[in-house]
Amino acid sequence: MIDVINLKKSYGEREAVKSLNFLIKDGEFYGLLGPNGAGKTTTISIMSTILDADAGDVVIDNYNIKKNPKKVKQVIGVVPQEIALYNELSAGENLKFWGGLYNVPESELKARMDELLKWFGLYDRRNDKVGSYSGGMKRRINIAAALLHRPKVLFMDEPTVGIDPQSRNCIYEVIEKLHRDGMTIVYTTHYMEEAERFCDRIGIIDEGRIIAEGTLDDLKKSMAIKEVISITFSKLSDTLVNELTSFWRDLKHQDDKILFYSNDIKTDLPKLVSKCNQLSADIANIEIQKTNLETIFLSLTGKQLRD
Amino acid sequence: MIKLAIKDLMLFIKDKRSMVLTFAIPIALITLFSFAFGGAGKNKEDQKITLLLSDLDKTKLSEAAIEKLDSLKSIQIVQIQLDSAQNAIKKGNESCVLIIHKGFADSLLAGNVLPLELQYDEARDIEVGLLQQSLIPTVAMLPFDLGNTQQVMANKFQKMVGNSSQNSKANIQMKSDSLFSAIYQGMANNNTGGGANASDAFFDSGIKMTKLIASKNDNALGLIHAVAGTSVMMLLFSVVGIGVGLLDEKQEGTLKRLLYSPIDPIHILFGKLITANIISIFQLVVMFAFSGLVFGLDVSAHLPGLIIAIVATAFACSAFGVFLASFAKSRQQVQGLSTLIILVMSAIGGSMMPLFFMPAFMQKLAVVSVNYWSIQSFYDIFWRNLSITSVTFLSRIGVLLLIGTILNIIAVYLFRKNILKLT
Repeated sequence: MIDVINLKKSYGEREAVKSLNFLIKDGEFYGLLGPNGAGKTTTISIMSTILDADAGDVVIDNYNIKKNPKKVKQVIGVVPQEIALYNELSAGENLKFWGGLYNVPESELKARMDELLKWFGLYDRRNDKVGSYSGGMKRRINIAAALLHRPKVLFMDEPTVGIDPQSRNCIYEVIEKLHRDGMTIVYTTHYMEEAERFCDRIGIIDEGRIIAEGTLDDLKKSMAIKEVISITFSKLSDTLVNELTSFWRDLKHQDDKILFYSNDIKTDLPKLVSKCNQLSADIANIEIQKTNLETIFLSLTGKQLRD
Repeated sequence: MIKLAIKDLMLFIKDKRSMVLTFAIPIALITLFSFAFGGAGKNKEDQKITLLLSDLDKTKLSEAAIEKLDSLKSIQIVQIQLDSAQNAIKKGNESCVLIIHKGFADSLLAGNVLPLELQYDEARDIEVGLLQQSLIPTVAMLPFDLGNTQQVMANKFQKMVGNSSQNSKANIQMKSDSLFSAIYQGMANNNTGGGANASDAFFDSGIKMTKLIASKNDNALGLIHAVAGTSVMMLLFSVVGIGVGLLDEKQEGTLKRLLYSPIDPIHILFGKLITANIISIFQLVVMFAFSGLVFGLDVSAHLPGLIIAIVATAFACSAFGVFLASFAKSRQQVQGLSTLIILVMSAIGGSMMPLFFMPAFMQKLAVVSVNYWSIQSFYDIFWRNLSITSVTFLSRIGVLLLIGTILNIIAVYLFRKNILKLT
């Protein structure tokens, strides 16, 4: 359904996307994860035809984005990160306008609007101005506006940022329904639980490249680690960092914390504590994390997902 | 408290927009209005009103008269062929021409009424009135300054008493002493400034006033100026608001969402232009309709010309609004910039005050503003009564359309360059 081939994009001297390659199958839920500035938004902007790539190609539903941008636009729906709605118009008026841009026949559009408003629990508020909605309600309409023309591919760029649990659950239900119905979805998020819950496959992008890709299980298996021992120090000097780095082969240093990657927690933890005592390091806290997407991401990029 | 005040002052100093609004714009406007009202600079030559003069007599006495007139502080004489002067007046470029007809020298020597004629555009009667006030005292004194004074006086009295009865003549003879006293008194008053009106009252000013372009309707010039000038200025503010919508859409993300849809990106700009044109036309229609209903502006008699001028004005102003929005990078930038540009254009274009109040160079500068061409086209319709096929009227409409087209082309370029640059 989506084939990204050797995609490159630079802004001046800075390479935002460097030879990006990935393939997304029809009906697949693909999570694109990466820290801020990793190249996610640039990639989605290129795939949704609003930004020209310097090199490479993207083919969506057999349409090349450079040769057939209008066809591609008819096939895709985009849920932008920001709430892109007209506050002075009602939800109904907003949906009618956005649907009209895709030349959805009026009768069909009306039925689709009603359907989506019911899905998102806003049918009774359809005549109210969007400006009077809560943030979560706006988010729901923001998603609905991208679904009016029944796109085959849906790009969702952090669609649940800053919303209440009720709206979040409502959105999750709709997303799962869309996935069940066979829609191909490309999803970016900062919430690991969302990626773990929805994604068939995950691509981890950093500094413009896919650095790991696969199902959650694939990613876990690809990691030689099982746990992460996170030790926070009251005072972490350069000398201490150097000593610990020469002692432990796989670790990451973050502010006043060091993450030690471990295959065997039972033997590794006492070893580490003993070494710290030997170095007179003042330990403030110790945490042990099982391998999950967060630890995989951290291990691969050295950054938290929200960085 | 002091700390809070210091913090606010620091915020104010760091806010460039506030600085511009507080200092730069007022300074710019003070500078502009100083120039506009002729108060700037030590050289007051610019404050003189230009008077076209056509000398058909071409004698030493006519040249001497011209020299006298040219020596007036408030007038600058520009000698010109009569037909050229008349064309300039008909086009609205000049207000009037003073003609020294053949026989001027003979009349001067013979003490007869001087063959002087002021042909003028009634649309600019205020300006002509100012000129007339400056001219009359000098013209009235020309027979005494350049001619045969005794002959002049003899002729005057001949005209005054020539057909009177013997009793009347005897009566005048008896009162001659008091009459001479009055004349001496009048001449003495001349030094105090009261003499100008005295000579004008006693001696015929000798200027025949002829309307080269006469008003054929009941519309008052002041009303036309108020309606046209204000409408165009307010329209510019309105269209900038519409244009700014583009930047709001960019800021709020709806522009990006529009770009995701299958519509052509440039249609987003054209959509704004259409909106701006429709609202502009509607605004002008409402303003002229209001002026017709409330102030009696004769709108119905000039509908075809008015419609053309409204459409052309709306086109040019809409293009200006969208151009400004495409040029700027944020709403704040547009607001600061537009206030300054609109006020400057309105001031130099004649929206705030009639152009003739301004010095010559400011009047020349007026042609760079949309206001000037629009206001002149409304003058053509309501005051000069020009037909819609008149070259003068059509040329102004042409300029408005040209301004609109050029600004639209630039706006398209800037829209692609600035507004569509999303990431």
